[in-house]
Amino acid sequence: MAYDPVLSRIDELSGAFTAGKIERRQFLKGLLGLGLALPAVNLIVAACSSAAATGSPAASGAAGFDLAALTSAAKGEGHIYQTGIPPEWVNYQAIFDLWKTNYGIAIDGTTTEGEYTSGQEIDSIKNTGKPDVGDVGLSFAVQAKTQSLSQPYKHSYWADVPDTAKDADGYWCCNYWGAQAFVVNTDAVKIPITDWKDLLDPSLKNSVGIDGDPTKANDSFFAVWSAAVGNGGGIDNIQPGIDFMNQLQQSGNLTAARANDTNIIAGEVKVAIKWDYLGLAVRDKAAGAPNISVTIPSSGSLASPYADIISAKAPHPNAAKLWQEHVYSDAAQLLFLKGYAHPIRFDALQAAGKIPADLAAKLPSADLYKKVTLVTDIAKITAAQATLGTGWKIVVNS
Amino acid sequence: MSSPTAGSVAIAPAVDQRHGRRTALALLPFAVLVAFFLLLPTAALIWGSFHDQAGGMTLANYSYVGHPIDLVPFANSLKLSLASTIVGGLIGLLIAQAIVSSRRPIVQEISTTFGSVAANFAGVPLAFAFIATLGNNGMLTVLLRSSGIDIYEGGFKLYSLVGLTIVYAYWEIPLMVLVMLPPLQAMKKSWREAAEILGASRWQYMRSVAIPILMTPFISSLLLLYANAFGAYATAYGLTTGFVALVPIQISNLVNGDITFDPGQADALAIGLAVIMAICIGGRAILERRSARWLSR
Repeated sequence: MAYDPVLSRIDELSGAFTAGKIERRQFLKGLLGLGLALPAVNLIVAACSSAAATGSPAASGAAGFDLAALTSAAKGEGHIYQTGIPPEWVNYQAIFDLWKTNYGIAIDGTTTEGEYTSGQEIDSIKNTGKPDVGDVGLSFAVQAKTQSLSQPYKHSYWADVPDTAKDADGYWCCNYWGAQAFVVNTDAVKIPITDWKDLLDPSLKNSVGIDGDPTKANDSFFAVWSAAVGNGGGIDNIQPGIDFMNQLQQSGNLTAARANDTNIIAGEVKVAIKWDYLGLAVRDKAAGAPNISVTIPSSGSLASPYADIISAKAPHPNAAKLWQEHVYSDAAQLLFLKGYAHPIRFDALQAAGKIPADLAAKLPSADLYKKVTLVTDIAKITAAQATLGTGWKIVVNS
Repeated sequence: MSSPTAGSVAIAPAVDQRHGRRTALALLPFAVLVAFFLLLPTAALIWGSFHDQAGGMTLANYSYVGHPIDLVPFANSLKLSLASTIVGGLIGLLIAQAIVSSRRPIVQEISTTFGSVAANFAGVPLAFAFIATLGNNGMLTVLLRSSGIDIYEGGFKLYSLVGLTIVYAYWEIPLMVLVMLPPLQAMKKSWREAAEILGASRWQYMRSVAIPILMTPFISSLLLLYANAFGAYATAYGLTTGFVALVPIQISNLVNGDITFDPGQADALAIGLAVIMAICIGGRAILERRSARWLSR
């Protein structure tokens, strides 16, 4: 077949439209721009529409996305109501400030609902109808979709987000994540701690701690689960993690002292297994007394994300969409990183060389994060919790 | 101190019917309190322990009785309560006796004030105070280590049953002092003088007079200490984040945890706890009857 530039352009446009990269309006414009007659255009659009509809409702695309139009519509609404987005958490205050500078739209709800837990956020969306956007734990984002409490929107950075970290239909998208890390008091620990097996060293008696009871707290639950990754198990099998913790307990290295800020700074817990962002924050808080280093286990660990949702009843839908554009923009994503939470577009920013060297120097190396697995499968989380529920008793009760 | 006659006058008119009715009326608030905060919750516990989450009748919540690993928390709780009761009870008794013997009102006042504060200092702040003192990197631990004695090398751990016993003793001792001071103060000097005049040795006085009189308050106090230790939760959790399995922590995990939510089983565990308490109280009743027999002899 002879090469026909018009046909190949039609193919390209249809592909972009069905994949949800461009909107219907842009698709039409593109086809008309090729000099095709209107009836032919209509036929092509109709053929592609059914495919696009199942793949991506309300999809917007990086290609022809009109930020100016969305901004003016959002400014017309004048307000955005947020639930569960507290200023002191993962550097949100700086993200608020940037929003106000860029768009000047008032943020409501912070003082009343800023500290809401994910469950309370869902309740507020369901019962008050006030919130436009919320920042929730992943399982709640999934729950919101099932209960028809959220609406779909695919922001213009959608392609940068790994498939596992976004809803295929656009009902939620993960915004940032934390990974389990080793938080080491380097004044007290004289051996290098790079991987799980290092924790079994006899010099670490009563030194290794986790952040709470794993049957109760998410942080320590992920610590046990991450230990599975480095010990022959993984996201599908938490048992090796439980066995490893039992081994640590039997060797006398595991301390019952909780790996919270106080115990880490006091030297009570010399190696803490906990979220990297909490570890980096306590490192800064300790400011050299003691010296603390944070590293990601070289054989890997697990990460848990938070997700953004837009309420199905959002009173300011355009402001809510603009908030997504804002949160996933380079500037705001780097602000998350400055607050030590890993932005969901970390890899894209890293590849594009957009991470400032001084910020990168404060974090464990980006290479170590390549071994980190983002946990987004609710069924697997439930299964791991069930195994832990019975398995943990053996660690504690024997 | 009040005279003994003042007490007996107050009791006598209760026989009067009008007073009897008035007493019943006065008891009403107490009865309401007992109904709402003891009987009703107990009934709810029993009901809940025999029902599953769907609301059907079940015995499954009590399956822990047959699993040795699920009985470990009970064994731990019993050991911890017993150990801290013995330590707290004996030291507390000795201190209370020393305070009474000092015969200085100022000593008694200061010690009761301190006792009330210390007996109520518990929970997370107490846990942290002990971590800072006796923890792996605590002040005392480090001090001892620098003088060549490494208690952790010797097998001691603050985050263990032994460590918890020491921490629990921190409030058990002052509590024992507080509850034993009144009976010890009530011991009349004249009883001892009378015994001495009759030719009793110090030991004979103790055996025939002091111990029988003090036995009942002593056992009651121990029981209070025991119950206090058995139900304590916040201190143990603050110190060991659940690594030492105790019944109250297990119950909390079942109703409060992110991972497991099983109120029926929590109810069943609570019933197990209640049964143990009932046995203790029953034991006390038997002991008391025996001590009464000694008294009448």
